[in-house]
Amino acid sequence: MILRRLLSLYGLLFFVFVYAPILLVVIYSFNANTLNMMIWDGFTLDWYRQLFGMETSLTQSATFVDSTDQLWGAVRTSLIVALSTSVFSTVCGTALALAVARYRFRLARFYRTLMMLPMIMPDIVLGIALLIFFITIGMNLSMLTIIIGQSTFLISYVFVTVSARLAEVDTSVEEASADLGATPAQTFRKVTLPGIAPGILGGWLLAFIISMDDLVITYFIAGTGNTTLPIHIWGLLRRGIKPEINAIATLMLLFTLVIAAAGLYFRSRRQK
Amino acid sequence: MTLARRKLLQLVGLLGAPTVFLLIFFFGPLLIMLVYSLLTPGLYGGVDWIFSHLNYGRILGWADTRYEKFDPVYIAIFLRSLKLAALTVVSSLAVCYPAAFWISRMRPGLRDFAIFLVTLPFFVSLIVRLFAWVLILRPTGFLNQGLMGLGLTGAPIEFLYTDFAVILGMTYVFIPFMFLPLYGSIEKLDMAQIEASSDLGATRFQTFRKVILPATLPGIVGGSVITFIPALGNFIVPSVLGGAKVLMIGNLIEQQFLSARNWPFGSALAMLVMSAVLILLIAQFRLAKKEAQS
Repeated sequence: MILRRLLSLYGLLFFVFVYAPILLVVIYSFNANTLNMMIWDGFTLDWYRQLFGMETSLTQSATFVDSTDQLWGAVRTSLIVALSTSVFSTVCGTALALAVARYRFRLARFYRTLMMLPMIMPDIVLGIALLIFFITIGMNLSMLTIIIGQSTFLISYVFVTVSARLAEVDTSVEEASADLGATPAQTFRKVTLPGIAPGILGGWLLAFIISMDDLVITYFIAGTGNTTLPIHIWGLLRRGIKPEINAIATLMLLFTLVIAAAGLYFRSRRQK
Repeated sequence: MTLARRKLLQLVGLLGAPTVFLLIFFFGPLLIMLVYSLLTPGLYGGVDWIFSHLNYGRILGWADTRYEKFDPVYIAIFLRSLKLAALTVVSSLAVCYPAAFWISRMRPGLRDFAIFLVTLPFFVSLIVRLFAWVLILRPTGFLNQGLMGLGLTGAPIEFLYTDFAVILGMTYVFIPFMFLPLYGSIEKLDMAQIEASSDLGATRFQTFRKVILPATLPGIVGGSVITFIPALGNFIVPSVLGGAKVLMIGNLIEQQFLSARNWPFGSALAMLVMSAVLILLIAQFRLAKKEAQS
């Protein structure tokens, strides 16, 4: 009994450990104290106003004066990259998953193992390898190199997500569809695709979130002038800790939570 | 067109483009990195296409020319990274194992929600999560304020920029990596076996060691491997929480590319990390195969 209580106590502490740091960031993004961000000095939305370029009561020295334009530029770059990368990875990953799950060929098992490699490869290794590669073949670092670079490992994430879904879907329905005279294209569109749609959607959202958050690989292959949001924050952190980072972090948190919640919502709706 | 032929065409259609893409942009870069690690660094950054094994010699001990000298510091940093990654694995196990056990004994609805809560932070920006720990650990941070408020320490303790901070940060960031494999094997535990063990007079500790631990070993090994690998090559966590004081192999590689501009040497260091990772994976693969046979 005592052991049980201890275990419950430990479990609760575990969740405190997981969530307290994140909550602190959110709470202190509303702190009005401009001099010492660690001391609570009343509620304010000034840090948020500052990010959206609205009038604030903040003095110039309290903020990174020039950051607003750069910040929104970084958000824009991140969104473009994440959208392109996630769509491309989803198409490639889904095609590979379909091939491996629905066709018999000698390399199928080999593919399954091989697709684990990009996920398990330490990101610094992949990052510098891509940098050397792009420089060697004479490709200028740009948004395109970021999209290519991120896709190399995001395809694997989509592959795994869609494969998991394909394993759950009953193949007999597909066979029935073919027996009843549907063409392969019809079977795919009317039977297979709706069946794995939640997996594809899940894989796409996962790829989107990971792409939005990728720091290491993007850091090496972004070149100058293609700052993504994580790289921008990384730069801010190196210049010192200012309260507006709390506000940026909270907004990012909100954004990822909305996407994650949407993903889970769709998944639960499809399962019913 | 025969059916077999049509199937083959479909298969090629599905596999072709992604395979070519990955061959060029995933395996291509790794291959070029291997080639680079065997070239001579140019005088002003770049690279000379002359074969050289001295990049490895500088790390492993046989380089003694004027520019390419062996320095034990590189292998020391590598060993230190292995140590920090191993300590991260141990602390992750300590954090996640009891929690996974607790959650596996909840009623189903609550359990699914708890697992969702554990995995959710994985989707929260890495840099945001690390920033949170900077706020907690720095001299004027919450931890020091708390400790001083309680009168446990007079002056702020320097938590930030220590091994402790780096291990804590990596443990925190990799919680889902360790938790999910652990949970997977703890969930499958046969409660009847555990009860039988205690009915037959085994103490709690004996039951844990002889029944629970062996049954959950696959989860422990799996979680440890996928925590160890990203911890070993990490350079974000040591940069943010370790500052200049805790240098890991990832930081060293980054320096070779962005400030020292010695790409061949940086490639050799990265090959070292990649070999360590591959050795670990092969070892785990063999172990799993052996287990499946017995």
